[in-house]
Amino acid sequence: MTEFRYANAPREMEAYGYDRVVKSHCRMCHGGCGMLVYLKDGRVEKVGGDPDCPISHGTVCSKGLASVQLAYHPDRLTHPLRRLGPKASGRWERISWDEALDTIAERMLAYREEHGAESVVLGYGTGRENEAVIYRFANYFGSPNVLTAGHFCYGPRIATTVITCGSNVIVDYDNNPRCIMVWGNNVTISNPDCYKGEPFSQALNAGAKLIVVDPRLTRVAARADIWLQLRPGTDTALALGMANVIIEEELYDHDFVANQVHGWEEFKARAAEYPLEKTTEITWVPQEKIRAAARLFATTKPAAVQWGVAIEQQVTCADNNRALLALMGITGNIDVPGGQMLFKQPPIRNVSQFGAHKALPPEQAAKRLGGDVFRLAGNFGIINPKFVWDAVLTEQPYPVKMLFFISSNPLMTRANAREVYSALEKVDFMAVADFFVTPTAELADIVLPAATWLEMDYIGDFWKRHGWLLPRRKVIQVGECRSDHEMLNDLAHRVGMGEHFWDDFEQGLDWILEPSGITFQEFLQMDHFRRAVTYQKYLVKGFSTPTRKFELYSTKLEEWGYDPLPQYREPPESPVSRPELARDYPYVLITGARQPGFFHSENRQLPWARELHPDPIVEIHPATAEKEGIRDGDWVVIESPRGRIRQKAKLTEGILPQVIAAQHAWWFPEKRDPGHGWDESNVNILIDNGYDHCDPAMGATSIRTLLCKVSPEDLRDRSAAGDWTAAGWDRPVTSSDLGRGDASARAGAPPAGVHSDSKEGE
Amino acid sequence: MSRYRLRILDKLCWGCKTCEVACKQENRAPTGVKLIEVSEDGPYWRDDELRFVFRVERCRHCGTAPCADACPTGAISQRQDGIVVLDRDECTGCRDCLAACSFDAIAFDDARGVATKCNLCYHRIDRGLLPACADNVCLAHCIHLHGADIID
Repeated sequence: MTEFRYANAPREMEAYGYDRVVKSHCRMCHGGCGMLVYLKDGRVEKVGGDPDCPISHGTVCSKGLASVQLAYHPDRLTHPLRRLGPKASGRWERISWDEALDTIAERMLAYREEHGAESVVLGYGTGRENEAVIYRFANYFGSPNVLTAGHFCYGPRIATTVITCGSNVIVDYDNNPRCIMVWGNNVTISNPDCYKGEPFSQALNAGAKLIVVDPRLTRVAARADIWLQLRPGTDTALALGMANVIIEEELYDHDFVANQVHGWEEFKARAAEYPLEKTTEITWVPQEKIRAAARLFATTKPAAVQWGVAIEQQVTCADNNRALLALMGITGNIDVPGGQMLFKQPPIRNVSQFGAHKALPPEQAAKRLGGDVFRLAGNFGIINPKFVWDAVLTEQPYPVKMLFFISSNPLMTRANAREVYSALEKVDFMAVADFFVTPTAELADIVLPAATWLEMDYIGDFWKRHGWLLPRRKVIQVGECRSDHEMLNDLAHRVGMGEHFWDDFEQGLDWILEPSGITFQEFLQMDHFRRAVTYQKYLVKGFSTPTRKFELYSTKLEEWGYDPLPQYREPPESPVSRPELARDYPYVLITGARQPGFFHSENRQLPWARELHPDPIVEIHPATAEKEGIRDGDWVVIESPRGRIRQKAKLTEGILPQVIAAQHAWWFPEKRDPGHGWDESNVNILIDNGYDHCDPAMGATSIRTLLCKVSPEDLRDRSAAGDWTAAGWDRPVTSSDLGRGDASARAGAPPAGVHSDSKEGE
Repeated sequence: MSRYRLRILDKLCWGCKTCEVACKQENRAPTGVKLIEVSEDGPYWRDDELRFVFRVERCRHCGTAPCADACPTGAISQRQDGIVVLDRDECTGCRDCLAACSFDAIAFDDARGVATKCNLCYHRIDRGLLPACADNVCLAHCIHLHGADIID
């Protein structure tokens, strides 16, 4: 990769007159990419990639480069707020951190006293490197309820890999897999946990064969040697069909199967339920393509599966993951160079220890919402969101009185958005920490200003399974913003849990690193570190599972009352399972394809990101569009039995005529009313979050496969978006006008400052 | 003297649009104006197969530079090293260059009433730095400055 190592920092400094450059670690998604932050007079002027970063090798993405627009955004929340009027009235007053945290602490203690600690629910969205501290806080407080995306994002990868082979298996791109099977993942556009697009891209350039399983023709799919365009929601059937070809043709790794797996005969019998003819009937993928893909994957060594979140947001969530794990295992690609690695972290206190899961009393753990329903999830501290909404709305099985969301916008990102709205509207007390006053925050009682990655110190990527640790260095202070860690550390003292936290959060970072024998200050002197990589550790120690084997047949799932083998189940709302409903709603709706520039509901107010995608887009096949009277660029109505939304049609042959693909998490911050257009284009309005629409083990909500109809709008050019170009977001922001853009909130307040921090990066 | 130009391997492009934002960060083109733009080509059918690639559109810094010939005020000129520079301060907004460009690579900045295009970050090249889009931002490594060896 040396030929690409550009980014000449000293020359950049000289050319532009920057006075400082700091190495840090981006977190515009889940984290991962090493960054160079250029400063002048204490202000970030520019960010770029760090060529020495072992993960991204100096490359970046559109989100990362837009970091400066986020940090200094004119709408950025820079001080705590208290709501004055009714919920969603948009009337706020500025308050101090002391007032904000004391109010939150007082409420938390009162609810615990009256209704039990379980009545207080903390939540985050997708992983933002704050998960462990939020769990730590909840566990010591005594609440078993942390509401995350873990039921259908990454949590299933952790849960299914732990019960199958002890830990998450990570593709070893450093050693160039010769065959990569990308399954439900757009790795070069999205941000799949533990991965970056660059090493994948390099492995392809080095000649790796490529198989892609995706209902949409992504560019990755277009570049594939074999593209399997499956019917949405049929992944487990396809994977078992491929396993059956591999078994029938004796293409599996006989040695690994004979010595390392548990349940081979049972798995063989299960795979045999998926002969090619049946698999094709279920998945719509031609038999010869399934056979060719199975042969290519099984006979090319090393081979790896690049998976992502799409397969987890289905009713077969856990079984999709488990069926793919079976393919990795029986082909002998586990823990080998260029295969799927079980990397070991450096000796630190890991997320589980830092998260203090053992501090939660067993009688409180037993009260975890839905823990006895979704038992795989429950055993990993994960809950399904509907249990929380139900507990707020019906007070069953017990009342939830308080919600505290940190970097989460559930009104935009959780299934059945209207139910979410009802719950947030009803809940007794809600606090939100975020960068902006989002549609969710508009329903809060207290809103706290959160720090971006440029404003925090942290041990980057310490929750991931690729084994690298990278320092994130605080370079600026914006207004009164605080990192999620700092605010929870402070709050912990106010609710009487100071002994489990620290005077200053840097001591918490010292505590995480302590087993490695270094302090955080010493860590800051390093670029990154990882433990020496070793392969095929199972030959010595077996796998970290109850049988010490790679469990094709899961003894844990059996113990918890589930089918121990992966099994295909028809999606609860499909043309096959609901033919009568499909007469009115004839199309399969898939949701959530990732877009450059956005991270779920974030970044619509960053001009550089929004310019890439001004409008929510729904993809429709030209034949379907013609039948429905829709032209390219029309605003159309997408309707499910739950409701209707509007998005802008894009006609493409890259999707089957029976399938429609809508984008997720769209709101319109340019609309200044407190709703910000949350219900105009929000795909989660269309989605059923009923428990029968969830994976029985993991509680994953089926958000990727449902039925819909689509029709042209009467006014085809009536946009759901506002005029964001006139919002003033791209005017240069000076330190003196950083604030909420809300005169009443700022009146009488000292100007929010942007201060340089004296920490040196190098 | 060697000639600078951007070499972009479209078939490697993943459509992540990082180059677009890298250009924005460096050149601050106003909203609605892109000096480099990733566009979709396809999907379309050929030989019973669906094809789909991205095309990265930008000024080609043509050897003959018809835009420079078309410009009545001399606001567009070609440097010795091949870089075709549009000086916005000299532009009168007549749009003749837009019509002359066969790559559709010149944009019009409505707010300022001037034409604008990629000047190949000559202000960076002259200081020994690579153009923003070619400075290792691209995860596909598909954008390179041809003639970069001159820089060192």
